[in-house]
Amino acid sequence: MISVTPTAVADSPNKIDLNNLTPEQVALDIKNLNLYYGEKQALQNISMAIPKGQVTAFIGPSGCGKSTLLRCINRMNDLVDICKITGEINLHGENIYGRHVDVAELRRSVGMVFQRPNPFPKSIYENVVYGLRIKGENNRRVLDEAVEQALKSAALWNEVKDRLHESALGLSGGQQQRLVIARAIAIQPEVLLLDEPTSALDPISTLTIEELINDLKQQFTVVIVTHNMQQAARVSDQTAFMYMGDLIEYNDTNTLFTTPSKKKTEDYITGRYG
Amino acid sequence: MMKNSNKEQQNMNKWFSSGSPWIWLSAGGVSISLISVLGLLWLIASKGLSYFWPADIYEFKSINDQGIHGTVIGEIYDREFIPASQLAHTDIKLAPGEETVERLLVKTGNRELVSLDFRWLLVPEIQTTTKPEDVVVIERRTNGNFYGYIESVILDGTVVDISKLPELLERVDNFQEEIDTLQNSYIGAINYKIERTRLKERKYKLDNELTDELVKELNTEVADLEAEYQVLEAELMGLRKQVARDQIVVRAMDGQKVTINFEHILKVTYNNRLNFIDKFLTFLQQISAFLVDDPREANTEGGVFPAIFGTVLMVLLMTVIVSPFGVIAAIYLHEYAGKNAFTKLLRIAVINLAGVPSIVYGVFGLGFFVYMVGGSLDQLFYPETLPSPTFGTPGVMWSAITLAILTLPVVIVSTEEGLSRIPSAMRHGSLALGATKAETLWRIILPIASPAIMTGIILAIARAAGEVAPLMLVGVVKMAPNLPLDGNFPFLHLDRKFMHLGFHIYDVGFQSPNVEAARPLVYATALLLVTIIVGLNMTAVSVRNKLREKYRMLEH
Repeated sequence: MISVTPTAVADSPNKIDLNNLTPEQVALDIKNLNLYYGEKQALQNISMAIPKGQVTAFIGPSGCGKSTLLRCINRMNDLVDICKITGEINLHGENIYGRHVDVAELRRSVGMVFQRPNPFPKSIYENVVYGLRIKGENNRRVLDEAVEQALKSAALWNEVKDRLHESALGLSGGQQQRLVIARAIAIQPEVLLLDEPTSALDPISTLTIEELINDLKQQFTVVIVTHNMQQAARVSDQTAFMYMGDLIEYNDTNTLFTTPSKKKTEDYITGRYG
Repeated sequence: MMKNSNKEQQNMNKWFSSGSPWIWLSAGGVSISLISVLGLLWLIASKGLSYFWPADIYEFKSINDQGIHGTVIGEIYDREFIPASQLAHTDIKLAPGEETVERLLVKTGNRELVSLDFRWLLVPEIQTTTKPEDVVVIERRTNGNFYGYIESVILDGTVVDISKLPELLERVDNFQEEIDTLQNSYIGAINYKIERTRLKERKYKLDNELTDELVKELNTEVADLEAEYQVLEAELMGLRKQVARDQIVVRAMDGQKVTINFEHILKVTYNNRLNFIDKFLTFLQQISAFLVDDPREANTEGGVFPAIFGTVLMVLLMTVIVSPFGVIAAIYLHEYAGKNAFTKLLRIAVINLAGVPSIVYGVFGLGFFVYMVGGSLDQLFYPETLPSPTFGTPGVMWSAITLAILTLPVVIVSTEEGLSRIPSAMRHGSLALGATKAETLWRIILPIASPAIMTGIILAIARAAGEVAPLMLVGVVKMAPNLPLDGNFPFLHLDRKFMHLGFHIYDVGFQSPNVEAARPLVYATALLLVTIIVGLNMTAVSVRNKLREKYRMLEH
């Protein structure tokens, strides 16, 4: 069994009971979600509630559907032609797969950071204000303020404040990933989805990002997919273990890693497969 | 023995597997291509540029087989050896064993005396060859060059010293310049305005809006313009008289004296007195005259400015038309069209368009754009000029559009290529920030694809600038009286016909009355065309490189 030092979790003041969440505590409510890629079913009847202001991690072996589930939350799977979805994901009590949902609007409230840093080939400044410009914000003062705010939240401000108008491609991988996070939080989303955000980074950059995630939950609900169990243990409050498209176990991180209730979970976190 | 050949075999195999034969082969291929390109450039550059270099003027004294003495003055144009058997009927004494005879092609000019510009001289017949210092070349507006000795200069009827010549020439030059501006700018503008007034009147008449008042107004307008015209005309006549005041008497090679009026003279040069630096300066002068002057004498003399202007303007118009259409088509095909058999078919059709012979596009342009679209435009918007067509006739706009269609596939294919090379992470990044597909395209995808789009445009320019065949059907002419861009409203006259360097080469080389004389001009024009295309391409390439630098993707 993996030894976990559950400092962040245990000391968390707003300790919650996942099975008895009040509606105010729920950020996202996933109900009976099924997803098919053509004939193949990739998600099987997933139901879970993701609590507000906490870090929720999805773990599981490759191909278990954890990234797919994450991409459902901001409808990035819409880009895949053969993908078909049934079930609901409710944000503010409204199904995001409902008929009248504006996808662009949804993605503004559910931001996403990808596996590899993908800054645009623009200046650092223009990268951060991209989402705001899309929204139609062109006031210089507002943009300047947002850039400073976002870069500070992403713990990047001190490193780049003197070269905001240089190309973002000149930054290191870790800095680029933090820039991408700053870009996502500049438009003030409610939920931030992180899809294996450190898998392309070196250990030191990884550490910085993990610390950042801890700070981010003050402002945002964070959902993170990771293949690294130690990382899930370090950064998350809740953990969901998925296997072959099924949600096997979903519990607070401390419990899941110390006393898993399912055999499959135990096998996975003790390294029998995966 | 057996062992040895085995070893050789092994060495051979080793050599093959080391890859060096292929390196040698590809290096050889590259060298051959390079040599051909350099050879081509060297040939047209040397032949073309020698046209501008002031040649030495020789005086040949010869005696022919009938024992008649003759003098030939001119520049050596070419020399060749002919078999002696061709000269069997003449009495030329050849050294024993000599089987060929050298002969010279001499440019003798003086068209009013002899109808031929050139004369063959057999070297054995030449008695003496000299380079007299006093011989002059007179470049003229009509009748080509004159070679001879200046006998006298006549100022307003009285003979003056030859040393006055440069001064008199400069005076005439100034007057000629005034005449040119007067004719082309002022009188041209008045004629244009009178024509427009006439058209206005016809338009009113056609619309049944012509009142007596309007007629009166238009008539006074025309009368004013005509009065203005009379004044300018008088001024022009005065200038012409001034120009025609002086003459020069020149002795030709056969002793005949010819009087040449100053109004016909462009330049008088003592070629044999020039040293190297003078020659070089004259060379530069000749080149700049070639670039900025209008053609003379059925295009075989003078400059090619209208053709340069026409070529560049047409290519720029073509670029402005083809770029948005090509990019939009590529975006549709790549981003919006469904990924099905129909799209595939569409793409194959687009690629095959590139293989259609260009003359077919010319025929299409003539039939569709000129006659159908142009004819309809005339009926709708220019009924007052009918039956003489405005857009219903070949012109620079139709040429640009026809070439735009011709080069469309190139732009589409390379833009699509560029779009498909963009990593999907860029799209996803933008979409995840709440941008719509259109916003993503406009703000992220197109800028990143812009170097690829520029590549397409570069290829399009390279193809269009060298295309001649379709243009002959849709707008190019041998001699355009006006440039398609001038000072008269609306400044850019898209309906006008234009001159083109490619067609100019064809015209001068094959259609001119004096092919021999025009040959160097063909090379010079070809060199110019290559230079212009390379120049246009270089501009586009440097733009592309800047874009590339700006949107350089990190190596993942």
